[in-house]
Amino acid sequence: MRILRACHELGISTVAVFSDADRNALHVRYATEAYHIGPSAARDSYLRMDKIIEIAKLSGAEAIHPGYGFLSERAEFAQMCVDNGIVFVGPPPEAIEIMGDKQTARETAVAAGVPIVPGASGETDEELIEAAKTVGFPLLVKASAGGGGKGMRPVYKSADLPDALAAARREAKAAFGDDTVYLERLIENGRHIEIQVLADMHGNVIHLGERECSLQRRHQKVIEESPSFVVDEELRQRMGAIAVAAAKAVDYVSAGTIEFLLDRDKNFYFLEMNTRVQVEHPITELVTGVDIVQEQLRIARGRRLRFNQEDIKMKGWAIECRINAEDPYNNYLPSTGMITVSRLPTGPGVRIDTGVFPGSEITPYYDSMISKLICYGETRGEAILRMRRALEEYRVMGVKTNIPFHQHMMDSHRFLTGQFDTHFVEERFSMSDREAPLVMEAAILATLMAHEQGQKASQIVAPGDRDTSNWKWYSRWERLRK
Amino acid sequence: MKYITTVNDEEFIIEIEHNNQILVNGVRYDIDFQHSPEADALSLLLNHRSFEAVVEERDDVWEVLTKGELYTVKVQDERAYRLAKARGVASDVTGEAQMKSPMPGLIVAVPVSEGQHVEKGDKVIILESMKMENELRAPKAGIVARISVEAGASVEKDQVLAVIVDEEEE
Repeated sequence: MRILRACHELGISTVAVFSDADRNALHVRYATEAYHIGPSAARDSYLRMDKIIEIAKLSGAEAIHPGYGFLSERAEFAQMCVDNGIVFVGPPPEAIEIMGDKQTARETAVAAGVPIVPGASGETDEELIEAAKTVGFPLLVKASAGGGGKGMRPVYKSADLPDALAAARREAKAAFGDDTVYLERLIENGRHIEIQVLADMHGNVIHLGERECSLQRRHQKVIEESPSFVVDEELRQRMGAIAVAAAKAVDYVSAGTIEFLLDRDKNFYFLEMNTRVQVEHPITELVTGVDIVQEQLRIARGRRLRFNQEDIKMKGWAIECRINAEDPYNNYLPSTGMITVSRLPTGPGVRIDTGVFPGSEITPYYDSMISKLICYGETRGEAILRMRRALEEYRVMGVKTNIPFHQHMMDSHRFLTGQFDTHFVEERFSMSDREAPLVMEAAILATLMAHEQGQKASQIVAPGDRDTSNWKWYSRWERLRK
Repeated sequence: MKYITTVNDEEFIIEIEHNNQILVNGVRYDIDFQHSPEADALSLLLNHRSFEAVVEERDDVWEVLTKGELYTVKVQDERAYRLAKARGVASDVTGEAQMKSPMPGLIVAVPVSEGQHVEKGDKVIILESMKMENELRAPKAGIVARISVEAGASVEKDQVLAVIVDEEEE
């Protein structure tokens, strides 16, 4: 939806694909053309590269924007596009390939002078156990092909290492079909800071400052902000320059993100590069004024970047809350069902990106994010106050949402003072101390509704007890009341 | 008309006298209750304090959404309340608790076995759905009387997965 809008603003016609579950989705109705691609399960539809290419050819599409998720970081798909003469709106397949494998990504980073978390690789467990002595404890065992926390194990002392290696290999094998693992020093109290870069086909690379993404649950980001509370201008330029160097090292083109771990002493280490536009890109757009998706489309057409690094100035503060269909009071259990009411917050400084509307089914097939709520303010305080206001205004019925989680976070002392790290949400944040503020009012509202329903039901009697139909009778009754 | 209304384990006795006055636990309030023209929202002026909410009935309870929070509210008139009390099911905490699948998915693991004692909040079933592993926890303390699924099984929404009963019923 976000991407279609950018296309239409640039006067580009669009082609959407949809699975069985998504025929009525917003992106299908909004696009210039739409094609059915297969059953609901993603592997039979949105992950079918052959079908997508076939539809692109059939419809005469010149370019494919892969969005995020699904095929956006698959080098094979980017290559297929190139082979079929279709422009892939993203980096060249080689760059995806290099950055897609954590180990080669690390090697490339080191070669480009990008600092990485001290670590070691090795073929056998014996080699890794030996190498662990130089890495130091605590450390992390990570899967080379990994992502999303699978195949990852923290180890605090050397005695636990052999078991952790075995467990990580098993998980990695099951999840990615590859049991290669490596070691990395565990950075405690680290913050997840990422730098947005833009690169054109002519070797120009700039950065758009940082995003603070430390608030995560199960390695999924839930709240992001830009700029970060802990990054000053000097650190920003230092991290930005390193990010640009990393992008140049792989001849990067299009929008990309370099993720760093920032420790307490402001040392930062390369984590990985995301070779696509990210869910949280809007906060950067709001503070820099650059439309990242439009820039991607311009870059894909072979245009030069319209900005120099000096043109990029961050102004104000932006916060994004990911609104998910899940129950924050019940261990964030996903909630499925049909959306009955969706009234979006509006007003100054509020942007919301969503594909959900009344009648939408939240299905178990795709992830549980239903919208992104983004607020902008001149200062961080103003952005937080706006976010509180927007969260109160937002109404979604039919599924439970994590809006109360976000409200609780916006009220929390630690968030307000910017004191959090990547473990904060899971280890030191609880919903149990939240007092729902309007219990009595809710009781009254429900009782009034029940009462009103009871009154109506007693007026409308069973058929047969009255000589005319209930519908006729009801309409007469309505008219009488006027 | 007198109602006993329960929200988050808190009971309110609400008496609706006529259209613009109610008693809540004996305290009188002026009310002005309107369906706003925007069909889904209700407007309540409670002693002139203004509240807006969406209220929907679902599975015998009322869901009230206001200022971001969703409240699940049970409304019973006096008669229904006494009947329920007499049958001993006024509260969900006693008797048998069925654990139903909240969504379609795949059972990853069942970390408990039949006959085992569980505390409220213990993991009973691990269900994979929406690309995530979800822990379904015991709604109350008791004995696992029955487990109807095993690891690897696909389940539908609302399928009964396990039953937990009070200790003494065993």
